[in-house]
Amino acid sequence: MNEPVVLVVGAGLAGFSAAAEIAGAGLRVLVVEQAAAPGGAIHRQPLPGIAYPVASAVHRRRWTQVTASVRAQGDRIEIRYGCRFAGLDHEGTALLTGARNALVRPRALVIATGAAERVRPRPGWTLPNVMTAGALQIRTKTLGKAPDGRILLGGSGPLLLAAGAELVKGGNPPVAIIEAGRPFRHVIGSLGLPLPYLREAAGYMATLLRARVPVLTGTEIVRIEKRSGALTLHVESSSGGRTFDGDLIGLHDGIRASDHYAAASSIPVMRAGDCREALGARAALADGRAAGAALVAELTGTVPASAKDSSRIERERRAQRRLARIFGHDGSARLAALPADTVICRCENRTVGDLRALGPVPTDRDLRLHGRFAMGACQGRFCTEWVRALTDPSHAGSPLGAVRLPAHPIAIADLLDAGGIADNPSTGE
Amino acid sequence: MSGRIYWNGTPVPFLPGENAASALLRAGIAGFGRTPTGLPGGVFCAIGQCQGCLVMADGRLTEACLLECREGMRLSPRGGMNE
Repeated sequence: MNEPVVLVVGAGLAGFSAAAEIAGAGLRVLVVEQAAAPGGAIHRQPLPGIAYPVASAVHRRRWTQVTASVRAQGDRIEIRYGCRFAGLDHEGTALLTGARNALVRPRALVIATGAAERVRPRPGWTLPNVMTAGALQIRTKTLGKAPDGRILLGGSGPLLLAAGAELVKGGNPPVAIIEAGRPFRHVIGSLGLPLPYLREAAGYMATLLRARVPVLTGTEIVRIEKRSGALTLHVESSSGGRTFDGDLIGLHDGIRASDHYAAASSIPVMRAGDCREALGARAALADGRAAGAALVAELTGTVPASAKDSSRIERERRAQRRLARIFGHDGSARLAALPADTVICRCENRTVGDLRALGPVPTDRDLRLHGRFAMGACQGRFCTEWVRALTDPSHAGSPLGAVRLPAHPIAIADLLDAGGIADNPSTGE
Repeated sequence: MSGRIYWNGTPVPFLPGENAASALLRAGIAGFGRTPTGLPGGVFCAIGQCQGCLVMADGRLTEACLLECREGMRLSPRGGMNE
């Protein structure tokens, strides 16, 4: 392929629908995907040759539709798997690493890298076999079966129910689902959700009920311990504390938008889907199309027929707000009461005690330079929210320091392998 | 391609298209050594964001969750090589 006109990062719903929209206007698109298969988190595809009992019919239909729209564009869309986007410099040169290192000069960039999973710090959350609920979902979807062993899911949010139902379908129902909120108390509020949401939730609940999976609401995780090779989960509700033994724990406290690629550049950059605003799968499709259409308009001067479907996005936004209220609970007391040796920054092993030692109102400079928070290899993706909540909740949501490229650690060898863009005749350099 | 990778010299089978993190977890290997500051390493996010599953693969430090298995690939804990 010659230089792509548009580079799309992420082969999930948003990335694919953006790619189809852009290629539909006659432009060449390169989609890069860090995983070995498309689908992102929600529609992650099983390994070759593995039957797929996990995805719901709605999910399968949606995915079939979007992949057909990509296929229909033929060789105007190239997809490269095992390929990571490391960043875009101010001149519009993008570095790709992984399967094939390369520097490319697209005329525009679409970032569609999906949501980040929120996970509250808790004592023991750094133990092996404690991972995000999303990680368990990916394992279940790629292998077409649930992981072995006694599985516990905990935290808060509708994704826990989805993950639980997938584990049931994957042949290993979770021992229990621990939900900090009290979603079932909001019957009236739940009725205000759009019908597809209710149908999806009812499907998950029916699956969990059939498998007799206990769903404990109003129950918070206090700590996780390793005991004689297994994990013990300590939980607490208004009726007291209890423990669960398990081999594998999936934690989840919601999803949020995530953008670690936002460098100013000379070319147009659009964000699409959950990485822009965490609104879920239905919105991601519409958002990808809208981002694609906006880029086509900018690059060609013609506005595609599929104008921005803002009503769709607004509807999903309202539904997500309602869901957030239904699962809402105040976790600030639990956070403030964390023992001093609880790890907040997983990269650099920085604790609640280290954070408190910086004084009552640490500046960002204190937090970074002296505390080393958000200075690790993940660039603060997993600690910033909790550092803010514990030090200055009024700045919740603001990053700790500027976004730095590369977006993930790369090897010097990656840069050397990438070659020079001057080698490419189509750039004219 | 399916076959075997090696974790500290011990053979670990993998499925076609499987990544190293998945193969190691299926083999019951959840602790991927220690991070430079002493925390246990292992799979956390599984989508290349947390850097928790870094391992040495054929001499290169890389995320196991994004590393597609190749026959005979040699993996080891990252040890002190991170910095």
